[in-house]
Amino acid sequence: MHPQHALNQQMDYVHPAPVRVWHWINASGFLFLILTGFQIRYAESINLMTLSHAINLHNYVGFVVIANYFLWLSYYLGSGKIKLYIPDLRRVVGLAIRQARYYGFDFFLGRPNPHTMTAENKFNALQQQAYLVIMLVLLPAQMISGLFLWKVKGYEEYINLLGGIKVIDTIHVLLFFFFTSFLFIHCYLATLGHTPLAHFKAMFTGYENHH
Amino acid sequence: MNILTGFNLRYGLAILVLCSLSPSWAWGVENAECLECHSDESLTKESTDNILNTEITESLYVDEESFNHSIHNDNGIACVDCHADIEELNWDEELPHAATLESVCCCSCHEESAEEFKDSVHMEIRKKGVTMTCYACHGYHDVKPMEAALVSERANSVCLKCHNPAHTHDWLPAADSHFAFVECVVCHAPEVPRTINLRFYDLVTNQFLSGDQLLDTLGIEYDAFMTTVDTNGNQQIDTDEFDDLILMLKQKDVHAALRAELVAEINPLAHNIRSGSAQKDCGNCHAADSPYFNTVSILLTNADGSIERCTIDRSVLQSYYVNHFYLLGGTRVKLLDKIGLLILAGGACGAGLHLLGRILTSPIRRKKSKK
Repeated sequence: MHPQHALNQQMDYVHPAPVRVWHWINASGFLFLILTGFQIRYAESINLMTLSHAINLHNYVGFVVIANYFLWLSYYLGSGKIKLYIPDLRRVVGLAIRQARYYGFDFFLGRPNPHTMTAENKFNALQQQAYLVIMLVLLPAQMISGLFLWKVKGYEEYINLLGGIKVIDTIHVLLFFFFTSFLFIHCYLATLGHTPLAHFKAMFTGYENHH
Repeated sequence: MNILTGFNLRYGLAILVLCSLSPSWAWGVENAECLECHSDESLTKESTDNILNTEITESLYVDEESFNHSIHNDNGIACVDCHADIEELNWDEELPHAATLESVCCCSCHEESAEEFKDSVHMEIRKKGVTMTCYACHGYHDVKPMEAALVSERANSVCLKCHNPAHTHDWLPAADSHFAFVECVVCHAPEVPRTINLRFYDLVTNQFLSGDQLLDTLGIEYDAFMTTVDTNGNQQIDTDEFDDLILMLKQKDVHAALRAELVAEINPLAHNIRSGSAQKDCGNCHAADSPYFNTVSILLTNADGSIERCTIDRSVLQSYYVNHFYLLGGTRVKLLDKIGLLILAGGACGAGLHLLGRILTSPIRRKKSKK
């Protein structure tokens, strides 16, 4: 359904199809990567599958997530929508403080969200900064360190340049814990719509319902 | 009487001398005598191949330099100790010993290895008409001391002569890394004792530091190494003692990293490679409590290939001193697990506390929305 045909004027088409496809592939990929990641790191305590299966699955899903990242990148760069992620440096501090105040205080008192999600201004100041760092720094770092761990001999020179395999592993593992923790917060914050499931529905339909 | 006593004395002395010397000395054939002919690269022998019935020319050349660096020469084994059917050389003849010598039986000395080999897959292939001799893998006149050898030298000099591991390890994730850091027999002879060999690698010269270089730098002798480093005298370098060693090296302007490899000890059990018994359960190695890392040693290598082995606490494998060797799960940095737990707890608690606040303040919002 195209935004022009939105039946309800309060509905805003904020998640175009490529974004939704990317998001759900990424989400399921992350779940598999986290499960297999725990299995790989704690093989002596977790018995979901054999270690070699866990590693192979982790590798395959990792490549899906990497390919998916390029779907995201090409869509956002090609459509120019990447600017959704670029904060307005003159206003960002004030907006971020207001948004943090909302999450930490105003929300509990039923005060309105200072940010309204629209197709042109999708992210609030905190989301904008967090996603900018995640998508352009942390996720690429996780993908590159994952690639290095996948073919240690093949990338030996780069690995040595960065200080050795254990340094690469440390980056990968710390980001692994960060992304797992991020998933808790991300899923929780997604329940803060006008109903607990509103944002989840929007990520399937593309339409955000404004109340 | 005097004559008899003198004879007994001489006889007794002769027996004593013969008993105290190796057979080569007793028979009076020295390596140098053998090498008078066998150091000639053009020395060959014509024989008939008994399968194809064709004439073949065999080289009888022995590379003296290689032999002098061999483990057998290091242990004082002379030519005639193995070629034991040569009791003397008759220099009056053009060929001073028999034209055809008996096959050398390695098992005369290496009995235990031979015993283990009997049950191995390499013995089993005789049923298919393939005869594996000891020297097919190990060579003969230039058998190198292997204790100090790197994985690449161990595998290249033995298993890779026949096997191409890339064709048979499709199931193994990160196969290249395994081939680079783990000796074949660690998995293929599951009973063999294993050890982690650690060596200092000079990051400036991009070379391994030999024992001599390391000790020269520290200004101590081999004998003094452990007493200098192992300050609490428990015959093991503990992590804090290792910190001190690294500090000592840094003070001497040596910037070295530790390189590790998982190898088999030089042990007869390494010959017991049986069909289908290779270690395929990754969890045996990739677990924090894996017995594969029970023995960890720093190697101080000598120029002749011999080594001094200094035991070190296995926890050094989990440290950032050993940055170029990492087994998923097996040598993981435990500190990261604690940091990871904090990160996860932070996320879960953040969401949980917000949810709690949300539940507790829901009457306020309900009241406000009614208004």
